[in-house]
Amino acid sequence: MNRHLPSSSYFRPLLCIDEMYVSFDTSLGRVKAAQNICLELHERETLAIVGETGCGKSVIASAILQLLPSNASVKGKAIFLGRDLLSLGEREMADIRGQEIAIIFQNPSLSLNPIMKVAEQVAEPLQIHRRLPRHRAISKAEDMLSRFKLGDKASPVMYPFQLSGGMNQRVMIATSMILSPKILIADEPSKGLDQSLARQVMKELAGIKDEIGASLLLITHDLLLAKEVSDRIAVMYCGEIVEAGSSAEIFDEPLHPYTKALLNCLPEMGFKPIPGSSPSMIDPPEGCRFYPRCRERLDRCLLSPKMIKVESDDGDREVRCWLY
Amino acid sequence: MAGIKPGSGPCAMSECFCGDGKDVRGMEKECDRPYHCPYGGILFRKVSIIGLVLFSSFLLAAIFSSFLSPCDPWDRFEPYLPPGQDHILGTNDLGQDILSELIYGSRVSLIVGFGAALMATTIGSSIGLLAGYFKGMADEILMGITDIFLMIPQIPLIIVLAAFLRPSFWLIALLMGSLWWTSTARVVRSKALQIREMGYVQSKRSLGFSHLHIIVSDVLPNLSQLVMPKFLLSIASAMIAESSISFLGLGDPSMKSWGMMINFAFSRGGFINGYWWWYMAPGLCITIFVLSIVLIGSFLEERDESIMGQQ
Amino acid sequence: MLSGKKATRYAIALFLIISLNFFIPRSMPGDPLTNLLGEDISLTASSVQELRERMGLDRPLSQQFLDYWHDILRFDLGYSFHLHRNVSDLIYDRMKWTLLLSLPAMVMGAILGTLLGARAGWKSSALRRTQTGFIMAIYCAPPYFISLIALYLLSYKQGLFPLKGFYSTGSALDIAHHLFLPSAMMTLFSLSRNYMIMKGSVLQEKGSLYATFARAKGLYDEQILFRHVFKNALLPIITLLALDFGFILSGALFIEIVFSMNGMGSLIYDALLSRDYPVLQGSFLIITIMVVSANLLADLLYSYLDPRVRWQ
Ligand SMILES: Nc1ncnc2c1ncn2[C@@H]1O[C@H](COP(=O)(O)OP(=O)(O)O)[C@@H](O)[C@H]1O
Ligand SMILES: [Mg+2]
Repeated sequence: MNRHLPSSSYFRPLLCIDEMYVSFDTSLGRVKAAQNICLELHERETLAIVGETGCGKSVIASAILQLLPSNASVKGKAIFLGRDLLSLGEREMADIRGQEIAIIFQNPSLSLNPIMKVAEQVAEPLQIHRRLPRHRAISKAEDMLSRFKLGDKASPVMYPFQLSGGMNQRVMIATSMILSPKILIADEPSKGLDQSLARQVMKELAGIKDEIGASLLLITHDLLLAKEVSDRIAVMYCGEIVEAGSSAEIFDEPLHPYTKALLNCLPEMGFKPIPGSSPSMIDPPEGCRFYPRCRERLDRCLLSPKMIKVESDDGDREVRCWLY
Repeated sequence: MAGIKPGSGPCAMSECFCGDGKDVRGMEKECDRPYHCPYGGILFRKVSIIGLVLFSSFLLAAIFSSFLSPCDPWDRFEPYLPPGQDHILGTNDLGQDILSELIYGSRVSLIVGFGAALMATTIGSSIGLLAGYFKGMADEILMGITDIFLMIPQIPLIIVLAAFLRPSFWLIALLMGSLWWTSTARVVRSKALQIREMGYVQSKRSLGFSHLHIIVSDVLPNLSQLVMPKFLLSIASAMIAESSISFLGLGDPSMKSWGMMINFAFSRGGFINGYWWWYMAPGLCITIFVLSIVLIGSFLEERDESIMGQQ
Repeated sequence: MLSGKKATRYAIALFLIISLNFFIPRSMPGDPLTNLLGEDISLTASSVQELRERMGLDRPLSQQFLDYWHDILRFDLGYSFHLHRNVSDLIYDRMKWTLLLSLPAMVMGAILGTLLGARAGWKSSALRRTQTGFIMAIYCAPPYFISLIALYLLSYKQGLFPLKGFYSTGSALDIAHHLFLPSAMMTLFSLSRNYMIMKGSVLQEKGSLYATFARAKGLYDEQILFRHVFKNALLPIITLLALDFGFILSGALFIEIVFSMNGMGSLIYDALLSRDYPVLQGSFLIITIMVVSANLLADLLYSYLDPRVRWQ
């Protein structure tokens, strides 16, 4: 809800992801989960990555913080305050995680330790990074929890299994915000919640983000949510970013055929599903990955298109398509 | 008897043998965090190949004892010879060649181990199958029985029974087989419960196929993968127990198993007089054989799990 | 705390196992009197008749069964004609030593085994792989065999420790000197089992999302293990470890035999040699009760430690 900002590009970039590639070695072959990802996250802005389930959104989020499993290999750069996150050692990453960059995962109930009291989990970053003694950390955590309407006497001594999905989601948010990080990565914060609850959680999240002046990298498959909350949007398809621009422009004037198709899936646009199914990431289609499902395809689409800049009011509109 | 978590997910536990046929998990696995991992590290695979080689050489020794052993294990030479040229592993108090005893002993030990494991696996699979497939009352009762069997201290019970029965090796195998089916029953049950709920099995049932037909054609084939490692690990348990019982002198004196050899060495002065070769060789044989089984068994379990992880 | 269903299961288990003990001597081949008293006892014809009456063998089986339970509840486990003492007194004397040998060792083994196992499962390194290989060899060897080797190398060859028994002079230091090697073997044995179980559990648990989230909070390496994963990995295996108690206790019996220590193991070994059935059966009964109690305890502990069970 940064709509009062004239444009995010007034602020300097905080995180620059440059030509990032992520792949996984599995017994079925090499999964190319993210290809040639270039993104900039500016100070105080909200950037949304949208795309269908399985297109590699979560992979990007985890890769930034080096949280991927050992079968992953990551190439490229992610510059944060002059340091390349992808080449830092585990010790240095540990200092950044939670303190400078925090993340909330898409499955709150599984991401919380099932046998640890909620307040203790929220307090943990304070103990680890700020070396606060246990009781002080916990009382701060309880303050934080009460901001999320979890302050009634019972909640902090409760365990995750006693709370609902929405409450656990808030516990996760409280945990990641307690050290006022510079960047918050939120992976599907609305997943599993009903519409109104999702809006409410999102509102609380945006509120606290503005208050501490953090940037938000929002990952979602919910286009409307992205439109409502974000300043800029990057659309992802099968491991690649196919289009990026300010959220108003993406919605008003989508460029990439995939973005258009996605918008047509929305109920208010007539709910027209995209024909065909998402391609395999083990061996993706030659050339443009959307080629097999594209309505506007040309012969040269069998060659890989490059990300190109397009003229626009905001000046940072990009698309990966031969039509432009 | 509280919830022992069933293996879940691709990086799930593997159960390892435990001296008395109960579940113990824990094997080498090089993987981190969620999602499925390429199964087995290279190291892990190498180690299990070593296991396979050891296992097959023991198996060959047991099958071809009469060709391989340098002399008859009952023939007498000079007693108490340390390992040397004539007798590679030395001789015992009666002057019998230890290497020949070992090779013939592998036959006895392996037969007891395989026999007991076969029986335990059969009983365990049947009980688990019935409990899992029919659910309800049958499940309650059978799993209740399993839980009770799980708590009996099995080696002491076998000792008591063996004391009364003065057993032959067959009897010992029988006793062990009838006590050690519990962990097999548990895994088979949870698998059978899963299969039972699958779409095609459900629809076959509503089409009126008989239970027997469904069990034979749909459930059993899916169990073999699960039961094989259990079977191997039961062999390991049985061998350890057989050797322990023989060590107490409860074995069959007319048959020389590895455990019996250690018992003779211990009770007939081999230990006190420092004739280490007498008990060292059979002890190492037991250890190495069990080790090889554990390595293969857990490799099989890992493989199953990573296959399941991809489905 | 303990659900009704579970409590019933424990009760039934105990009842069945104790009853089994009643039926074993009466159903085995041979004269039940011999089976109840033990072999190689010289008796005159009149005393045989008298004993038969005293043991109640002339009464109906149901009556005998009730008498048996009556005796059990008064801790009367019969009389050993070989050792000329009450079985319960004998066991009481010997059990003290066995517990002295095995309890501290089992506790040590459990602590060390879970700690080392957890670290081995957490991260592998050349050192930890060697350690796992070593512990796995112990895990696969019969406990008495390892004890034989240790006894041969350290006591027989090097003379570092006494060869047999619990004590020679009886001073505390002397007892400790005697106990050291067998206790170490026992610790190693129990350690190897706990190690393998815990390692497997941590391997599975460390892949959970909450562990990754802990990393995302900025926890470093073993902080994650000890603040989050350890307890989660330990909980589901508490009952598994308790089931192993019976096996580890059996191991103690064998270790005692190797070290010629006068505990339960030697009692059982001697009873086997002389076919002293009352002693054998009494020992089996007591061991069973201990194992069942250990399982019960583990169940209670589990339901206390796991909030998901506690708050149900
Ligand atoms: N550790 C892994 N091993 C193998 N494949 C993985 C792994 N993590 C993610 N993937 C694959 O990467 C792709 C992208 O996953 P993800 O980023 O979770 O999608 P989403 O856009 O829904 O968040 C999926 O096809 C998934 O199967
Ligand atoms: Mg995702």
